[in-house]
Amino acid sequence: MTCLFIDTSTKFVTLSIIKDNKQCYFFHEKVFEDLSVKILPLIADALKKCNLKACDINKIYAVTGPGSFTGIRIGLTIFKVMAWALNIDIIPISSLELMASTKTDKDYIIPCIDARRGNCYIAIYNENLDVIVSDRFTNFQSFINNIPVDKTFQIVTYDDINNENKIIPQIDVIKVINKHKNDLSINPHMINPNYLKKTEAEENFERNNN
Amino acid sequence: MIVMKDKYILAIESSCDETSASIIKNGHEEIATVVLSQMDTHAAYGGVVPEIASRMHIENITMVLEETFRKSNMSMDDIDAIAVTYGPGLIGSLLIGVEAAKTLAYIYNKPLIPVHHIAGHIYANNLEKEMTFPLMALVISGGHTELIYMKENYNFKRIGGTLDDAVGEAYDKVARVLGLSYPGGPLVDKLAFEGEDTYDLPLPLDDASYNFSFSGIKSAVINLCHNEEQRGKKINLANLACSFQNRVVKILTKKTMRALSEYNVKNLIIAGGVAANKGIRNEFIKLCEESAINLTIPSINRCTDNAAMIGAAGYYAYELNHFGDLNLNAKATDELN
Repeated sequence: MTCLFIDTSTKFVTLSIIKDNKQCYFFHEKVFEDLSVKILPLIADALKKCNLKACDINKIYAVTGPGSFTGIRIGLTIFKVMAWALNIDIIPISSLELMASTKTDKDYIIPCIDARRGNCYIAIYNENLDVIVSDRFTNFQSFINNIPVDKTFQIVTYDDINNENKIIPQIDVIKVINKHKNDLSINPHMINPNYLKKTEAEENFERNNN
Repeated sequence: MIVMKDKYILAIESSCDETSASIIKNGHEEIATVVLSQMDTHAAYGGVVPEIASRMHIENITMVLEETFRKSNMSMDDIDAIAVTYGPGLIGSLLIGVEAAKTLAYIYNKPLIPVHHIAGHIYANNLEKEMTFPLMALVISGGHTELIYMKENYNFKRIGGTLDDAVGEAYDKVARVLGLSYPGGPLVDKLAFEGEDTYDLPLPLDDASYNFSFSGIKSAVINLCHNEEQRGKKINLANLACSFQNRVVKILTKKTMRALSEYNVKNLIIAGGVAANKGIRNEFIKLCEESAINLTIPSINRCTDNAAMIGAAGYYAYELNHFGDLNLNAKATDELN
């Protein structure tokens, strides 16, 4: 069983190839610009290094968001087309859950992606990656203020978020894959970005028409 | 006798608000084309919303590809190369087509052919009638107004273009001022035939260059409507549409006919969505007859954005080994050269 894992939803791109539950390739770096130029050569290069061809892939784990709209679309277009063309399973993964795979000794792990103007994409997971509070787009401060006082928590984020209780994610792809290895595959036509947010045009339209 | 093997190009186009795929044989024969238009969605916003367009492209891309193969009774094994519009257009929209094309080229180890959107519009003509060179191409659409000289196949020289609004954009904006629904360009054209040229509008950028400018006449229409309203006078919509259309037709024909004469070219191609405009069509047909110019205008479904035209252009790029690689990026702006 050969699996491909990709996340292009934040400035840290993750690409991993897992063969028989062993990670044979792992890339996790900041990609500053021209993601669309870099990402497919990166995938081609990674497969080559593992002596694999695209047709050797059995399953794809694709991060569908939330995060950068364009970033998500660049990665997900590649994986959606791959899953459709090769007729293989594709499993959607949350970018926040991937960040939550960071090891901590706290009750709650709170992955967070800055979405400007005090807003963020945020959720609460526990160390087994169970969802305590599902992924959402909301105001950062009010979300944090609502965490029960008897719980210890750790914020994991790549971004410059104004909170002392934060660390940079140390992601564990194998942990996330193991959590989802029995998930049902989605029809490639139906796998789409999970933006968690409508477009500004849609929001304005709804406001004006209500 | 050397028998040339037939070449099949799979083409993808997603530069604006149409997700399209097509399979073209030898650059002129359309095997199957699927166009999924988002026009109805964007109509509610009075114009194309780029973020919504990108969202819809990724939702539809694999279904459009699958339907194209189903219609053609072919598979990826039958395809010789993959052509894709890399620009110009909406960056978020272009990226979906470009990533999809690169992925297929990589998986199946096929050559990748980046095609300029304007080259596609010109080659839409080749699907109906083999193009004769040298030729002049006037590409007019909601996003483009370009005058291109072609000495031979896949040799482009841009001799002029719009400095501001594209002609179709000006039409849609004027339509909005006149209170017509989006996309209003075709409605202005229709209305123009019901009116007379009574309003004093300027002839846009009437100079010695081959460039166009439509923002001035658009503003003139807006100001005129505003002033008449202030005076409590009612605008005659048909007459204003007719006056506007006459100026646009006049400058497009004037500069294009001069280019034909200066470059000593006898073949003219008109392409792009606005080529469907009756006022523009009729005047060019009349003038070309008078000057013995061989005029070609593709049928309306080939004037609007579609992947068939990208496949037609892609074939000639393929013959010239104009290949791209997995580094190919989408470009929002890029001059055709």
